[in-house]
Amino acid sequence: MHRFIFAVIAIATLQATPVLAEGDAAAGKIKGYTCMGCHGIPDYKNTYPTYSVPKIGGQNIAYIEAALKAYRAGDRKHPTMQAQAESLSDQDIADISAWLSSLEDGGES
Amino acid sequence: MRTSLKWAATLAIVAMSPAAMGAGDPAAGKEKSVPCQACHGEDGRGIDPTYPVIAGQHADYLEKSLTDYREGRRVNPLMSGFAANLTDQDIEDLAAWYASREGLTDLSHAE
Repeated sequence: MHRFIFAVIAIATLQATPVLAEGDAAAGKIKGYTCMGCHGIPDYKNTYPTYSVPKIGGQNIAYIEAALKAYRAGDRKHPTMQAQAESLSDQDIADISAWLSSLEDGGES
Repeated sequence: MRTSLKWAATLAIVAMSPAAMGAGDPAAGKEKSVPCQACHGEDGRGIDPTYPVIAGQHADYLEKSLTDYREGRRVNPLMSGFAANLTDQDIEDLAAWYASREGLTDLSHAE
């Protein structure tokens, strides 16, 4: 009986724990494969209007999270980025941000 | 022959024009960057992780970002205010300055 009560308490405690989206860079690298299609090509250009696709290797973690969430919510506009971000969970965003921010800046990685 | 020369000249001009667009002066941009440093840091890497690294970013992307803030196409409580007073020349200079710094990379090395 005691074991049962402990089990109930343990499960209840686990469920009550707020889901902290702690980023996992290794998972983010896998989830971020799609990012390479544009952000992984040196000097790749956005078209209509034409400008360079931004560099995001070594970008700060909280900024990437905020940017992806803004695209997902439609607060920041870019057709491709909105479409990409739409399918991302909070965990996906945390993981991808952890990965991108873990890349060394300054040309080394 | 004359036609192909014209084509070659046209292509050469087209190929050069992106460089011509980036008419910013990095030294002038450095001088104008003092207000930016409060958040983006002296080195353009951000004083904490909520502020983006802008060092090493493509100049034309920085120009687009600042112009979008100025024109209201992109909105941020801080950036919209700062960008509101920038001239095209200011934007080009600031972009040239931060693009010239070491910082961000594309993901071609991220394998």
